Amino acid sequence: MRVTLRAALWTFGLVLAALLVSSCGIGGLSPIFPTPVSPNGKDIYDTYIGISVPAIIIFIGVEASLLWVVIKYRRSRLPAGYVPPQIHGNNRLEIAWTIAPLIVVLSIVVYSFAELQKDFQPVSASNYTIVVSGHQFGWNYTYPEGFTIHSEGTLAGDVTPFVVPTHRLIRLEFQGTDVIHSWWVPAISGKTDAVPGYDNFSWLKIDTVGKWRGECAELCGVGHATMQIIVQSMDEAAFNSWVYQQRAAQNTAGSPSPS
Amino acid sequence: MAATHVLPRPKAYDDTFWKPITLWLTTTDHKLIGIMYMVTGVLSFVIGGIFALVIRLQLSQPNLKVVDPETYNQLISAHGVTMIFFFVTIFLTGIANYMVPIMIGARDMAFPRVNLLGFWLVPVSIILYYSGFFTGGALNAGWTGYAPLTEKAYQSHSLGVDFWAMSIIVWAISGIMASTNFLTTIVALRAPGMKLTRLPLFVWAQISTSILLLVVGAPLAAAMILVEFDRQLGTQFFTTQGRPVLYQHLFWFFGHPEVYIMILPGFGMISEIIPVFARKPIFGYMSMVAALFGIVFLSMTVWAHHMFTVGMNTYVEGFFMLMTMLIAVPTGIKFFNWIATAWWGSIEFTVPMKFVFGFLATFLIGGITGVYLASVPVDTQLHQSYYVVAHLHYVLFGGSVFTIFAGIYYWFPKITGRLLNRTLGEWNFWTLFIGFNGTFLIMHTLGLEGMPRRIATYTNEAWAATNLIITMSSFLIAFSVLLFLINVVRSWNGGEIAGDDPWQANTLEWATTSPPPPYNFERVPPVRSFMPLRDLRESGELEAETQPTPVPTHA
Repeated sequence: MRVTLRAALWTFGLVLAALLVSSCGIGGLSPIFPTPVSPNGKDIYDTYIGISVPAIIIFIGVEASLLWVVIKYRRSRLPAGYVPPQIHGNNRLEIAWTIAPLIVVLSIVVYSFAELQKDFQPVSASNYTIVVSGHQFGWNYTYPEGFTIHSEGTLAGDVTPFVVPTHRLIRLEFQGTDVIHSWWVPAISGKTDAVPGYDNFSWLKIDTVGKWRGECAELCGVGHATMQIIVQSMDEAAFNSWVYQQRAAQNTAGSPSPS
Repeated sequence: MAATHVLPRPKAYDDTFWKPITLWLTTTDHKLIGIMYMVTGVLSFVIGGIFALVIRLQLSQPNLKVVDPETYNQLISAHGVTMIFFFVTIFLTGIANYMVPIMIGARDMAFPRVNLLGFWLVPVSIILYYSGFFTGGALNAGWTGYAPLTEKAYQSHSLGVDFWAMSIIVWAISGIMASTNFLTTIVALRAPGMKLTRLPLFVWAQISTSILLLVVGAPLAAAMILVEFDRQLGTQFFTTQGRPVLYQHLFWFFGHPEVYIMILPGFGMISEIIPVFARKPIFGYMSMVAALFGIVFLSMTVWAHHMFTVGMNTYVEGFFMLMTMLIAVPTGIKFFNWIATAWWGSIEFTVPMKFVFGFLATFLIGGITGVYLASVPVDTQLHQSYYVVAHLHYVLFGGSVFTIFAGIYYWFPKITGRLLNRTLGEWNFWTLFIGFNGTFLIMHTLGLEGMPRRIATYTNEAWAATNLIITMSSFLIAFSVLLFLINVVRSWNGGEIAGDDPWQANTLEWATTSPPPPYNFERVPPVRSFMPLRDLRESGELEAETQPTPVPTHA
């Protein structure tokens, strides 16, 4: 009675685990990343799903064999006097489970490397570069039109949005002025560190109008949690009038703080 | 032959914990030093756990102010440093210090006084680190202490970083001493017949661990010395004007192998415990040893996978991705060999065996999420998020801590002469298993939804429910650890007497009394395979072996 109860506990726990893991893998109940709006984010999303296929198969296979061992080979369930076969190994089997995982991980490497070459090279096709500069505790966005948006950190969740035009390939150049920060908006793409001493690059291209949230992802001091990010996309006309307003405002007020 | 003759128990080494303090302070006995290492480790586990509970309280709901952000940053740093440097590594050094000489049939470590010094550097290191709290604030840059946040320009108010750097330097020296000692002991002091191919796999794991710590301990100390130069002598190695990423390279060249330093001894314990309770020899002894060394080599070539977002050349990133993924292969070999060892076995689910299967079930998840993290594009999303926190706890808690519990339940009878209470042990296991998975399984989704790690609080209401479940589960873990501590204290005082070999085990430590005498063996038993005790039991020599021999024969 006790034994079956425990077997039930195991089954319950492992099935639950399998459900949870597979649900966050496939993107059913729990989300994977937020639905990406930029092509590079979309490719990362696809890579994640691609890795999930072998990952879920291996997960279920191994947990099932563990469960099988637990249920089938417990002493209390075996006939009295059962003497286990004294096997010291099996070369064929051992080679098999060396080669098989090797093939799986090598294919994941090739698959991931292709995506890496596709989306993580410096983009040259863009003529629109925005400089994103991190400092304790906030972000500055310098536009090619010559004005800078200062987005100082706050916990209220109402930081100044970083406005981008839709349908345009935008190159992002990351700079750090004090400690290391990391710019991350999961709905757009992966994170890029803003490191003092050299420039980092990323890019985005958003085709829908909307707002997405992100945060600084590298511990940077007491205000780390306040370095929130809001990215807002506008269609071309709205963006142009927004740019016009910003330039007018900064020309009258002067440059607030050079950074 | 007087069949009724019983060995007198040595007086200073009885099975009580309370021995004269002067004995504890001056002993060079590897067993007593091992116990001190382990007790230090468990105390650190409790302290680090209390830090974790405060962290979880702070995060249980959005916008909480249980502690202010500065204190919070100090707590997450202290939690990491305590658990990694002062709990897992120290505890595992302790259990190896106790078991390795006995398992190879030696009387003590090769350098008993180096062992003594190496151990006493550990409390020095711990006290140095916590001194930071009394000098304006301890380390507040995470356990990794990334520059330039640790530099004077951003830290001028306190000496916490200096105390951390000093502490880690002392810790590294202590670790190098212990590693040298282990390697010398295993090479030079093996019993007659104990060929390298007959070493217990736990000893092989300790060889691998010692090689790793020997290689990577020095670069860690070097990184800390450079941090100190920057802070106190005005150099510019890692400052905003210098090269902050160089620090990350030095740190992770230590930091990643450290992960394996914390898990390989656990792998060794699993390889010891499964054969005993499944009544089958380990499956693929040689491939287990080969896999250990594969891991040792590969683990030193993967460090930059912690740095995929700093902006490296994509081919360099590709190299580190490849090497990281390759580690899945030797780890997979070990995993499949363990399952194959249990397959067709006659498994007795004692408490240690339960922890072994708890380890196998959870460590697998940590291994699989590790493959996601190794993929550079995917890592740019997952890096520095709660997904990573979940992953690292699956390998360090589901991995190292579960193996440590398995090891404690397995070897406690040998160390104290008494068995841990089984009912409390079952409760300990099930509450830990459920509490652990409740805490860390759903933490993956927080990371996927965009919650960065190390934020002192958050405003996003969507994360509130998940965080609350995590906090409640973390208190279940605390309850479980409390049960464990009660069990240890109660059983040490009045637990069931274990006898020499309560588990019908395979290796030499069970051939001597529990606890073993200061010299470990009256006469070292003959070693004819990697399961010497089982050979004796099966050939019927065991009874004769445990009897005192009037004239010790030196083989």
